[in-house]
Amino acid sequence: MSATAPPIRRRRSIDVYRTLGGVWTTLVVIFLLIPIVYVIIHSMNGGNSFNIWKEWGGLTWYRELLDNRSVRNTLINSFKAAIGSTLIAVFIGALAGVALVRRRGRWTNWFMALLFLVLVTPEVIDGFALLSWFFERDFNSPFQNGFLGIRGGMIRMWIGHSLFSSAVVTLIVRARLQGLDESLEEAAADLGAPPTRVFRQITLPLMVPALVAGAMLSFSFSLDNVILSSFVGNDSSTFPLYLLGTVKSSTRPTAGSGAVVLFSFTLFFAAVTVLVLRRSGQSSSQIAANMAG
Amino acid sequence: MRRRLHAPKFLLAIPGFVWYGFFYAIPVLFIVINSFGYKPGVNQKGSVRLDRLSFDNYRDIWTPQFRQVFSNTMVIAGMATLLCIVLGLPVAYFIATKAGPRMKALLLVLVIVPFWMSFFVRTSAWKIVFAKTGFLNNFLIDWSVIGSPIDVIGTKGAVLLALVYNYMPLMIFPLFVSLDRIEPELREASKDLGAGRIKTFASVTIPLAAPGIAAGALLTFIPMAGDYVTATILGGAKGNMIGASIYNFAVQGQDTPKGAAAAVVLILLILAVVAIAGVIVGLIKYVFSLNRRVNIGMAS
Repeated sequence: MSATAPPIRRRRSIDVYRTLGGVWTTLVVIFLLIPIVYVIIHSMNGGNSFNIWKEWGGLTWYRELLDNRSVRNTLINSFKAAIGSTLIAVFIGALAGVALVRRRGRWTNWFMALLFLVLVTPEVIDGFALLSWFFERDFNSPFQNGFLGIRGGMIRMWIGHSLFSSAVVTLIVRARLQGLDESLEEAAADLGAPPTRVFRQITLPLMVPALVAGAMLSFSFSLDNVILSSFVGNDSSTFPLYLLGTVKSSTRPTAGSGAVVLFSFTLFFAAVTVLVLRRSGQSSSQIAANMAG
Repeated sequence: MRRRLHAPKFLLAIPGFVWYGFFYAIPVLFIVINSFGYKPGVNQKGSVRLDRLSFDNYRDIWTPQFRQVFSNTMVIAGMATLLCIVLGLPVAYFIATKAGPRMKALLLVLVIVPFWMSFFVRTSAWKIVFAKTGFLNNFLIDWSVIGSPIDVIGTKGAVLLALVYNYMPLMIFPLFVSLDRIEPELREASKDLGAGRIKTFASVTIPLAAPGIAAGALLTFIPMAGDYVTATILGGAKGNMIGASIYNFAVQGQDTPKGAAAAVVLILLILAVVAIAGVIVGLIKYVFSLNRRVNIGMAS
């Protein structure tokens, strides 16, 4: 009897800890989800304000997004900013990530230190630094007045958003390649493939999951960026900047409907990313590690 | 023979070096330089002059109000970071060790999804919850906790809660990743050797998760210290943060040198925090290894 008693007590205590942990986790998840539920409900408000519920309004404010030209433009600008900065971030991050793993050297430490600094610099500093840099120097006409028909504010946002995102993409690509040994690339090179072909046919396909995850993170970071954009994006208003402009007056329900639309795009992109990562055989833990950078 | 190309090893990192050099390192360096300059007169060109360098800007911004804003930022961001650890650590621990594979995936999705809703709008949504006729007041009145509705919007508490809410996923994810990497066998071994649950948690799990805790703390503290939007939405004038001072000096006041000085103060604050976090992780690891050495020494 005495030999069987401890395991029973132990099992019961496992249950207690597990239940406590489960309750705690549930409460935190509810806390995280409360505002999201409110946003979705209030985006269908019939009244004229986002904050004060009046009556059921259906999809009125979703139609308004299409009809109201200035709001529509801010949404389009948000997508432009996100696509441009994501392309830059993926390009820089992919190349730097490969170099960090496959071409190690003394430079690696310098580059990692630089990445660390970029990652720990708050957006206010980046935004302010870029603002003074672009407006003070003589070389800056493409950044100030635009280039090839793209507004200066948009170019500045691409640059600003891509700083943080490219560092994240670099780390994700680096983590992915560190987990793969170099024998495939060596075999291809031994069989006579030139370096560019090895890169295109072996390294690049192996990197795809990391690139997709990195692109997803860059996209969502840029699509919703407020603080950095509020410094550099003055002539190209994105949706978050339009919202920031309404903070002193009352927020319109288009804030809710626009946010839900952008949210849906991000969710869709995230679902595609998870599918790609699943197909490349990653577990949810690895996916989380990838997404956390 | 295998490599015909004798390129430098960092060839592929050149775009990164150029990008960070030109759009990060030099501009940030100029923030530091500009903070010693002065604002030009009305008919002079440019936004900052550097022909006479001094500490005047630092002296000028270091007013009682600014000191108040500075300590406010440290206290609010620090408390919010601690709350994120306290609230997030059990969640990350539960997801990493207690949840099955399906549950794990679902919970991770539920933690990250709110993060993808517009930052501005999800912060504004707390105004709805906190409103005088909102959910929080109704709930508290229904349960007789308070007699009449309380005004939460505009208080530090509201800003604190919204900051915790906005940055919590950035804490849970690194915590989860570091806890998930710890093999269950290590905890089992600790239990088999007679350590209780709490002892195992304190002397095996926490030291191994320390880098994750530090990463989470930095990932949340740093953006919180620079965040002024949350305070603008929920705090009104009372919840002023250092980010708002930088923005006000630089963009609204058009005073680049003073803004630069405020920015340098924030940079110094963050460097100090990074250094402290590094020292703490180092200490935990050192004590842990010392502890282990003593134990091994006693065993042999």
